[in-house]
Amino acid sequence: MNVRKLPILWILLGLLIAGFTTLVLAGQIPWFSKQPPLEFLYNMDLTFKAIPQSGNTFFADRKSLRDPVAGTIARGAQPYALGMGDIDAAETENVDPNLPMTEFVMARGQNRFNVFCAACHNYDAKSLSKLVKRGSWPGIPDLTREQTAALSNARIFHIISAGQNLMPSYADKISVTDRWAIIRYLRTLQGVVGTASNPSAVTTQAQ
Amino acid sequence: MFSRRFDMGVKVGGAVVGAVAAIVFLVGYFGVRNSVADVGYRPDQPVPFSHKLHTGELQIQCQYCHAGVEASAHSPVPTTQTCMNCHTAVKAESPKLKVVRDSYESGQPIEWARIHKVPDYVHFNHSRHIRAQIDCKSCHGPIEEMGVVSQFKPLTMGWCLDCHRNPEALIVGARPISGVFTGKLHAVKDLLDSSYIFTPIAAQVGKSTPITVPQFGSYDTDIPPLTVAGIPHPKKAGIGPENCSTCHY
Repeated sequence: MNVRKLPILWILLGLLIAGFTTLVLAGQIPWFSKQPPLEFLYNMDLTFKAIPQSGNTFFADRKSLRDPVAGTIARGAQPYALGMGDIDAAETENVDPNLPMTEFVMARGQNRFNVFCAACHNYDAKSLSKLVKRGSWPGIPDLTREQTAALSNARIFHIISAGQNLMPSYADKISVTDRWAIIRYLRTLQGVVGTASNPSAVTTQAQ
Repeated sequence: MFSRRFDMGVKVGGAVVGAVAAIVFLVGYFGVRNSVADVGYRPDQPVPFSHKLHTGELQIQCQYCHAGVEASAHSPVPTTQTCMNCHTAVKAESPKLKVVRDSYESGQPIEWARIHKVPDYVHFNHSRHIRAQIDCKSCHGPIEEMGVVSQFKPLTMGWCLDCHRNPEALIVGARPISGVFTGKLHAVKDLLDSSYIFTPIAAQVGKSTPITVPQFGSYDTDIPPLTVAGIPHPKKAGIGPENCSTCHY
């Protein structure tokens, strides 16, 4: 063998081992790739079945989740019947279930408020969230102001469910009970007790 | 034809090359693959959506878009409607959002490139992990720092079992990080909030059927007095995380 080639061979081998060792020890991201990962058993890994929200070549429009027949209501779903403008109907239609003031209800309300409302209205409901500041959106109301605090629970439920002005409906994202829990939590941020509905319509008072 | 010496060289050389190739393959497949395989997969998406902007800077909580992850096995990719909640008003004319607007008008969903994928014979359930208070970041990494999302953990069975066999080293006490549970991003303080979840499925409200043990509370039953130290160990809670049929069914 050629003596002069030996060191190069050993150096290459050493580098190779060092590289592998580094990869193993680091366990971090060694590279970014746009190539899909190798599937060694792709017959099993990728069976031909409908997976939620995945494309499926079986259908012409590639939707594996088929559009339901018009008017279908999902199991357990409680669609909100009123439109954005039906303010008067909202006061009588939305009957406050009077959730108990338990720790769970408050925590659940806080959780849902922080997830869905805080993006714009901020964690303290004063509506100066990072999103609002950055976009400098006008007219997102401070929920702790007097006008909002004076709204009845039924009316706030209506706003969450049907939307108001820029705000879209959140009926598809927040379950009915969660919406009432949010209102419970919002009342603590506002520091008021709140009325269940317009006094003329329903007499039950929130706790 | 060839000299005996050359013939021998070819045979020995071939054997050596074959052996080295086999070792490299074995080490690579069983050693390296487990920790780095699939990690770093960062495909191009149809819309240049930045999690860094939306989650990191604007502090929109994960579940605002991935709504339903706490109740469903599949973590939903947001509908185009969710994008349009804001983008009817914000950057409504941006050329980057043309795909989103077209999808909104036509009703044809956006075909996002899927990054995190376990084989089809594995049934991973997001809601179980969310309710067991496993943070999103435990598996998905620092999403709020990713301009373009890439896979952060290998999602191999060995990696799953690392945690399922030894949860106290990796989870218990380490949660939560990003505030899936408080709804507040990155709020490490006030860990007590993390015990305040769940039984969020509408069908459960009023029935209080426990899906996971322990039950963290429902609209019917209040939260049991828990402290962070008192969060039950998954194994003691009878979750059976090493049973084959937990995932392969």
